[in-house]
Amino acid sequence: MMRSSALSLALGYVALGLTALVLFAAPLWYAWQVTIQDGRAEILQADAQRLTDIYRRDGGEALKSYIDTRVGMQIAGERILLLTDAAMHPISGNLPAWPDTVPPKPGNYTIRFDTGKHANQEALVHVTILGNFKLLVGRDNALFRPLQTRFWYGLTAAIAVLCIAGLLVGLITRRALMSRIHSIRQTVSAIIHGDLKHRLPTHLSDDELNTLSRTINGMLDQIELLVHGVRNVSNSIAHDLRTPLAELRSRLEELSLIRPSAEEAYAEIDGAVADVDRVIRIFDALLRLAEIDAGMRRSGFVPLDVADLAANAVEFYEPAAELKNIELTVRSAGPLPVSGDPVLLAQALSNLIDNALKYAPEGGSVEVAVERRGDLRAEISVTDNGPGIDDAEKTKVMQRFYRGDASRGTPGVGLGLSLVQAVAKLHGSALELRDNAPGLKVVMMLPMERSGPSLREAIPPEPKAGAPVAPPTLASLP
Amino acid sequence: MKILLVEDNERVGQFVIKGLQEAGHTTDHAANGRDGMFLAASEPYDVIIMDRMLPGEIDGLAIIEVLRKAGKRTPILILSALSEVDDRIRGLRSGGDDYLTKPFAFGELLARIDALHRRAQGVDHEIPLVVGDLHMDPLTRKVSRGDRPIALQPREFKLLEYLMRHAGQVVTRTMLLENVWDYHFDPQTNVVDVHISKLRQKIDAEFERPLLRTVRNAGYTVTADD
Repeated sequence: MMRSSALSLALGYVALGLTALVLFAAPLWYAWQVTIQDGRAEILQADAQRLTDIYRRDGGEALKSYIDTRVGMQIAGERILLLTDAAMHPISGNLPAWPDTVPPKPGNYTIRFDTGKHANQEALVHVTILGNFKLLVGRDNALFRPLQTRFWYGLTAAIAVLCIAGLLVGLITRRALMSRIHSIRQTVSAIIHGDLKHRLPTHLSDDELNTLSRTINGMLDQIELLVHGVRNVSNSIAHDLRTPLAELRSRLEELSLIRPSAEEAYAEIDGAVADVDRVIRIFDALLRLAEIDAGMRRSGFVPLDVADLAANAVEFYEPAAELKNIELTVRSAGPLPVSGDPVLLAQALSNLIDNALKYAPEGGSVEVAVERRGDLRAEISVTDNGPGIDDAEKTKVMQRFYRGDASRGTPGVGLGLSLVQAVAKLHGSALELRDNAPGLKVVMMLPMERSGPSLREAIPPEPKAGAPVAPPTLASLP
Repeated sequence: MKILLVEDNERVGQFVIKGLQEAGHTTDHAANGRDGMFLAASEPYDVIIMDRMLPGEIDGLAIIEVLRKAGKRTPILILSALSEVDDRIRGLRSGGDDYLTKPFAFGELLARIDALHRRAQGVDHEIPLVVGDLHMDPLTRKVSRGDRPIALQPREFKLLEYLMRHAGQVVTRTMLLENVWDYHFDPQTNVVDVHISKLRQKIDAEFERPLLRTVRNAGYTVTADD
């Protein structure tokens, strides 16, 4: 038989049931036996007493004839009577001889004997010494045999029912379990063979298997996402690292072939180093994206003031905006506590401001705004008055490495918005691109920090959430 | 400065050693964790440059942990190909003092080693900070050059303070981003340069001798020397 947990469980229960049954029946059996034994001994005592009375009153002959009469009257085997002389020769009674196993001393003994109907019957006998006579009175157990038989039948039947029911329940459970496990196994083997779209069947109930299936499905979702991420990254690497690498290669090859003057060669080498730096930047951006996609950074969530974050980013870009004569402003109504990853949010915000400054016209304006949206969310937006993005292009700009026509010729690797989008997603929000007519308004939502009032304690005055990362700041210098 | 380099890649190792020699430092090189551990524990070094992933059973982080447990306070710069934020945090938690991701520019490495060394020596800056005729008092937040007071924005002040505390040393853009703005990512633009040129306008523009200088392929330095 196949090993099956359902079946072993059922068998275990059967064994437990049997044990309980035995524990219940054994004392009962014992008590019953003892009671019957006592009762019988008492009856025998009374029988012997009656015969003793006859002997005392009327003498040996009278006893003999009384016994003869009794033996003649009664059904053989029901009562055993034997009267012998001092030499143990039978005088009267229904036993052919004094049983070997019974000593000629007063007391109660158990003997085995054959009657006409049954062989090897058990009987309790009582021995009395009356002068020169020895008297043996006994009763066999035939009276109680049916009761005993019924007891054993009942016990056997109970055991049989228990075993059969247990086995049946075990088999049925196993069958039900096997059919569900079979479907799970089929799904899983489909997944093993590379089709990550399959999911385990689930229904509405909340039983153990269903809960497990749902959990596994959740895991599969995450795995699919990760695999997609890896696939995307490797595609992107193949696609977009090739170009700069090819340029670099030809530059170096040309250098090796032409062997130009030292001056020219150094310029070429500097160019090559710049090419490599560009490759490294793309690489870093891709790795960072993969890291965010994998959801690994969620552990870095801390309470932080997004208004402060925005003010810092704006301050950082201020001089760059001045250079282009763009008015860069921040609008917020006091501290706004959110829960998020300070490093990633700063990077996302900096990407958005950088983009906005790139597309806003000379003398234009860029506004970073932080607003509360209900009790649960904070909205952070970056608005410019540049050319904006066509509806048709809106989904494309968030794709990795996509660069709009307007961005050709500007520095950047085309990963900025996809990084912002990934950061937004990590914080549970979609990245929205809205029309500012003219211009673009990029909006993302952040979850509010629940314990709002304790903001002052939660955040040090300087946003140093990356503190374990940062080398000691000025304040800690000796 | 006496430096220990624990790095298994031969080419990177030679490149770093040569660069350090040119900068006037003596360098010991260990190509595996065992030798690295031995040298680090037995010789006195000013700075240790530790590759994180090493051949053999002992890796860089393990060596650092052992050294720190043994009470060695030598400043350690971790060199690693692992760039994720969490890797960085793990590296610094193990007892490293700074973390540089491969591939790196040599100027960046040199600048960071200098800063580590300076920090470990516990250089007592005279207050006010003085570079040439440029004075800064971090307590009163007053800056002046010659006898002319200079008004700075808070962030400009912080930027100049960092540069002046590292006077004579090269400070890279990344170091400025990390220490002045607390930004641990590459903004992919030249915003730092713009900040520097604004600062330069204020402290250097009307003076004959520029103090805030650009170091090619590396970063910036504030110095009164020629």
